[in-house]
Amino acid sequence: MSRVPTRARVGLALLVGLGLLSLVAGRLFPEALAQGCPLGLDPTRPDRSVCELAFGGLWVSLAVGLAAGALSTLLGLTVAAVARLSGGAVEQALLRAVDAVFALPDVLVVMVLQLAGQSLADAGQGGGLGPFGLMVVSLALVGWAGPARMFRNRLATLEAQEYVAASRALGGGGLHLLRVHLWPALRPFALAVFLSRLPAAILTESTVSFFGIARMEPMSLGRYLGTSYAALIYEGGGRVVLPAWALLVLLVLGASLASQALSEAPRRAA
Amino acid sequence: MKAVVQRLLRQVVLVPVVALASYFLMTALPLTTETDAKRQVSGELAASYRRDLGIGEPLGFLRPWEKLLRGERLGTSAQGITGDELLTKLSGSIGVGLMALPLALLWALGFALLRTRWRKGRWAAMGDVVPAVAFGTPVFIPALLLAPAVVERGHLLPELCAALVTSLWPGIFLGTLVGDSLEAELSRDYVRTALGKGLSRATVLRRHVLPNVWPAMLDAVGPVATSLLAGSFAAERVLGLPYFGQLYVLAVLNKQVAVVVVATTAFATLLVVVSLAVEVLRYAVDPRSREATT
Repeated sequence: MSRVPTRARVGLALLVGLGLLSLVAGRLFPEALAQGCPLGLDPTRPDRSVCELAFGGLWVSLAVGLAAGALSTLLGLTVAAVARLSGGAVEQALLRAVDAVFALPDVLVVMVLQLAGQSLADAGQGGGLGPFGLMVVSLALVGWAGPARMFRNRLATLEAQEYVAASRALGGGGLHLLRVHLWPALRPFALAVFLSRLPAAILTESTVSFFGIARMEPMSLGRYLGTSYAALIYEGGGRVVLPAWALLVLLVLGASLASQALSEAPRRAA
Repeated sequence: MKAVVQRLLRQVVLVPVVALASYFLMTALPLTTETDAKRQVSGELAASYRRDLGIGEPLGFLRPWEKLLRGERLGTSAQGITGDELLTKLSGSIGVGLMALPLALLWALGFALLRTRWRKGRWAAMGDVVPAVAFGTPVFIPALLLAPAVVERGHLLPELCAALVTSLWPGIFLGTLVGDSLEAELSRDYVRTALGKGLSRATVLRRHVLPNVWPAMLDAVGPVATSLLAGSFAAERVLGLPYFGQLYVLAVLNKQVAVVVVATTAFATLLVVVSLAVEVLRYAVDPRSREATT
């Protein structure tokens, strides 16, 4: 643990703290938030307090971000490993696919995937995916390209190391190299990549939910703001918007600090 | 020259790929009728979708484009759109984007300078906090805060506010990259030599440092353009601007699948045009880029 940079520890502590707070306040003891919220009641839902909705939304947003971040990191890692193991034309084709996915904005593609997924679900062909699962899959399908590019570049760098060349000269196959020599060196980087996907997934989900396209229930932070934005505009929404904003910023700050520190640490050590 | 052509072709090929992928995704969707479940399209609408998309016809994927070129309405009833309307809405969004671009450059320059100054003092943590605040702020949040004051004012004020809120994150992102690049160049020997020979700091910056910073800035223009265009979706919705972003969101909400296909392809085309412009600019301002292609 002593090798973990201080900035990463601060970031991870912030993330874990927010996660625990949202679990305790939003899920376990919501009545405490309902009674003691200094920001009062929500203008469009007079039976719910602003704190209740914000912390409840944080819990959902965080869960979506964690699941989508993990899935897109896993997909990216798989694509990068396949690209490096295959090499040649397959690697080039995969890199072109990565470029194509990377070129379009996440929000736009997630909207199209939500439309497709909802149409399938309405026709009973949704494969058992609810709104939560559909959102996680949509975010992972647009989010794998960045991790794939980062993992592929890191694998190419690691493969140029002498110990990998020595293992290859001794007859080590591609899978053996990946499992025994490359993966241990890649592990901290994988955590950093996962943490870098976390805020991106949360923000994309918030924006798509804000548009009213995703049917997330219980409401995420984005859907909470999106369902009441007309009222917020005309009745002055600062009281409602600011806590949700602060929670999103703290979440991103925690993930960014941890991700940056963890991705820089191996480079410094090298 | 071959490398440049290859790079350009890689960009251009994205347009038909997006057009075909979005078309076949949309035509594969089961558009059931009202009696099957709630929230479904009516039988009449489903038939209209099939006509719109040319489903079951040879070369049906060209149907939405044929309709647009003939000036026919794409989509159903009043929620559909003609080619002229699409162009008008697209130009509105591009206008907001063009207002946002100089603002983003202004944020970038300001933040890069501040970050360089902060790095040496007790405000160093702000170099991390400001990008996190900018990144952690979805465009709709500042738009919601500004909306009560501007939404009904007119006189291009909503457009200006949309440009302002859209430019925040791309500007800070660009500023972080430019700041890093600026700092790396300022610590190089040629800068010390130029200063030692008596050139002023401003001249060294303009004549020697900035030409080496442009490539880093150009690398970031693609993601910045994508962020500006994507950010305009939320800003247009909150601030009530009837442009391309609003059109796209409504098309998805109302399941106007033919409009979604055409709008997605138009969006991809716009991004490709930006990438091509960046490549041309890079070729013009970066001698290393020219040398690499000869």
